[in-house]
Amino acid sequence: MAAAPQSTGRELSSPPTDGISNLRFSNHSDNLLVSSWDKSVRLYDASANALRGEFMHGGAVLDCCFHDDSSGFTACADHTVRRLVFNYSREDILGRHDAPVRCIEYSYATGQVITGSWDKTLKCWDPRGASGQERSLIGTYTQPERVYSLSLVGNRLVVATAGRHVNVYDLRNMNQPEQRRESSLKYQTRCVRCYPNGTGYALSSVEGRVAMEFFDLSEAGQSKKYAFKCHRKSEAGRDIVYPVNSIAFHPIYGTFATGGCDGYVNVWDGNNKKRLYQYPKYPTSIAALSFSRDGRLLAVASSYTYEEGDKPHEPDAIFVRSVNEVEVKPKPKLLPNPAT
Amino acid sequence: METACGSLLYELQIIWDEVGESDAERDRMLLELERECLEVYRRKVDQANRCRAQIRQAIAESEAELAAICSAIGERPVHIRQSDQNPGSLKDELRSILPQIEEMRKRKCDRKNQFVEVLEHIQKLKSELSNSSGYISTTLVVDEADLSLRKLEELQRELQARQNEKSERLKQLAAAIQRLKEIKIQRMQRLQDLAMSLLQLWNLMDTPPEEQHVFQKVTCNVAASENEIMEPYMLSADIINWVETEVSRLEELKTSKMKELVLKKKSELEDICRKTHLIPETDISLNIAIEAIESGAVDATYVLEQIELQIAKVKEEAFSRKDILDKVEKWMVACEEESWLEEYNRDENRYNAGRGAHLTLKRAEKARALVNKLPALVDALASKTSSWENERGIEFTYDGVRLLSMLEEYNILQKEKEQERKRQRDQKKLQGQLLAEQEALYGSKPSPMKNQSANKGPRLSCSGKSNRRLSLGGATLQTPKPDILYSTRATPNTQHAKKNDRLSHEPTRDDGFQALSSGRRGLDIAGLPLKPHSFNPPNAHEIESPMMRKPFSPISSTDSSKSNATNIMEDLNRKHNEMLQKTLTSNNTPFATPSKTISTPDEENRTPKTMAIPVPSTPSTVSVPMLTAITPASRVLESMKDEEIEYSFEERRAGFVLPKEHRNTVIQI
Repeated sequence: MAAAPQSTGRELSSPPTDGISNLRFSNHSDNLLVSSWDKSVRLYDASANALRGEFMHGGAVLDCCFHDDSSGFTACADHTVRRLVFNYSREDILGRHDAPVRCIEYSYATGQVITGSWDKTLKCWDPRGASGQERSLIGTYTQPERVYSLSLVGNRLVVATAGRHVNVYDLRNMNQPEQRRESSLKYQTRCVRCYPNGTGYALSSVEGRVAMEFFDLSEAGQSKKYAFKCHRKSEAGRDIVYPVNSIAFHPIYGTFATGGCDGYVNVWDGNNKKRLYQYPKYPTSIAALSFSRDGRLLAVASSYTYEEGDKPHEPDAIFVRSVNEVEVKPKPKLLPNPAT
Repeated sequence: METACGSLLYELQIIWDEVGESDAERDRMLLELERECLEVYRRKVDQANRCRAQIRQAIAESEAELAAICSAIGERPVHIRQSDQNPGSLKDELRSILPQIEEMRKRKCDRKNQFVEVLEHIQKLKSELSNSSGYISTTLVVDEADLSLRKLEELQRELQARQNEKSERLKQLAAAIQRLKEIKIQRMQRLQDLAMSLLQLWNLMDTPPEEQHVFQKVTCNVAASENEIMEPYMLSADIINWVETEVSRLEELKTSKMKELVLKKKSELEDICRKTHLIPETDISLNIAIEAIESGAVDATYVLEQIELQIAKVKEEAFSRKDILDKVEKWMVACEEESWLEEYNRDENRYNAGRGAHLTLKRAEKARALVNKLPALVDALASKTSSWENERGIEFTYDGVRLLSMLEEYNILQKEKEQERKRQRDQKKLQGQLLAEQEALYGSKPSPMKNQSANKGPRLSCSGKSNRRLSLGGATLQTPKPDILYSTRATPNTQHAKKNDRLSHEPTRDDGFQALSSGRRGLDIAGLPLKPHSFNPPNAHEIESPMMRKPFSPISSTDSSKSNATNIMEDLNRKHNEMLQKTLTSNNTPFATPSKTISTPDEENRTPKTMAIPVPSTPSTVSVPMLTAITPASRVLESMKDEEIEYSFEERRAGFVLPKEHRNTVIQI
């Protein structure tokens, strides 16, 4: 069934028919949940390259996440937050925002679903109750601007909004942010992801740059922060910069992959400040990345992200590639007398 | 009484005795007497009876009346007659009942009056509230049977209700009147405003009186007060529309006239600029202003003022430029004549007598004289321009080019030409020697003149490839020499002859320059400098077509279309460069150094980079350090500049736009 893996990885069959907004591997298996602008949410078995289920929503689906291996949640442009149960093909509406819902995460620590929307709010939901906003909405937290990206680690939640605001919350006390920050990058934020070790987060912008930030606000903590340029092309003495749409951390090594509008996926070692690997160029912009739970697979959404408006583009595709250790394993710093 | 009657009877008996009345008679008279007495008794008794009956009746009547009154007014007398009271005599009864009845009568009367009053009021209100204007009869019918308080209250309530109704009606009417009054005032004001506008517009545009007269009835009220406007339909919606239409028609007319005026002024400004060889600076802003007038955003009078100011300014500047411009004119004329003279000198038939030959001879003479004066003219012009520039603190431009630069280049050109001529002459000499040698050896003699005249090739030591270059260079630049190319941009095409050399060289024009002139002929048409754009510094080559590359400007690595010709051009470039460097280093111009700097060959002759897109290699073991220096991006992302609010790609794709009330809180990047 599967051809020999090409340099881009195996392309999944029956991809969505319009842009891919996000994709995620399950924490329990190689199931891959994919949300798309064609209003669908698809569940694939990535190893078997099979479409296991499909849900249609009322509007473009902007984000999705797993709950357990058999259910998940979606964030939709029709303002709804939905819960899906895959085996029974059942879905219901957990609640609503006042504008398209952009991001969704499920916190295992608190058992809550957290959504961020362009209505400038964050909402926390309890998914256990029946549907209907009166029962399931736990709280609404106003943000300074429209929410663009969310990431969770442990009890911490990082919210990145328009206008380069970043709020850090402790999920146990959502009444006010633990930290109110501003992105160190000068341009619009695209994506924010927390380090698996919970010490900080990576933030990417539209200007081919990623900032590595730390929660510890002491001088020692903040001295470690830095930013680096990436996803750029040098042409005739000038740089062409591309937005960095997605960041994904390897679950085991703590290194991370970034995907940009230049169609490349780079893997980085944040501690040693090096790039470890660059995968061959994909047909079009990288919209989303996800490592499987054991880090052996990397799902890449090659899907034009409208950075240059409406224009003809390559078809949207999902590639699943096997990850070699050499591509993601950090290399210790070289000694003063380098051997190679 | 007994005694009276008895005595009378005794008396009667006496009488009878005396008379001797019979017993029968006596009995009869006694009976009669009895009978009459009885009647009298009876009569009296009847009378008394009757009296008693009357009294009884009076009492009964009074009691009935009392009862009636009491029932009518629903009240009892204050002192109620006890029915079980000892009746006493009838007269007593009557006496006791009379005051009661008096009292009740009075009370009834009062009550009745109250009723009458209320009913009158009601009647009045009825008539007021009813819409009929007929005469209402004033006779009131009071139901005497029911004069109870209850009824009275009922009537009073009715009266109140009608009074309320009346006051309601009055309020409504008052409100309606107020409203209509307001409308009237509004309309009146509107009409008066419109009338004012009409008057202003007529005044502004000198509208003929017949046209104005049509609106007479409106404009006559322009200052009237509210009560003065009474004519029906004077303030109707139709009238107002009619006047509004007229006003907007006039406004449009005014705008278009203003625009016309502005355009006229603008062309006047351009005219003046053109005549004084100034580039009008204000094109763009004026066009914007004209558009703004059309959209009504800008007051045309303000724009007009601005233009007038500019016209005045330019006139003043034109005045100050006059002298210099005259001299420039003379210079150009002299240059024309110079080139004419050159041609004339090349003409082998010039001394042949023909029609008008004497005229040309005369012209040639004049031309020679002019050409003699040229250097002095140029010097004088340059010094005058310098001092003008110093005085005014700005450059003197001629059609956008600094005049001093033009003069400099002209001088350089002349010097170069002179040197070139000299070199040509040397070469000729050399060739002559060679030929002589050849002749000596072989005895043949190729004609030098024909070869050179036929040879349109360059005088360079380049190969014939240079011809190819010419075809790339554009039709009018057929001449190969670098200095000729120079001349196409710089000055009217003349040859520069150093002052010292001029007299000696004048009659001898080398044939070698035929190539020059034949090429230059293409340029000779106007006899004027070419477009000012060509004066830009060499790097601004975007203005020209990609094929008309300026000499000594670097070949851009981004022009992939030229990649085929690059090698050839590179060679030529290098050689041109070397040549010009030699010629230029000997220049001593009195003016500032030329605006074009000749950079080193290395920079200029850089070959374009290969255009292959780098294939990303994925080294398996070598890791690349991150570029962590934080420098600002060299390319601004246009997609971020969307009005004041930035949107993400997803928002754009979804067509999401922030509702207005949220926008104030956006913070710009």
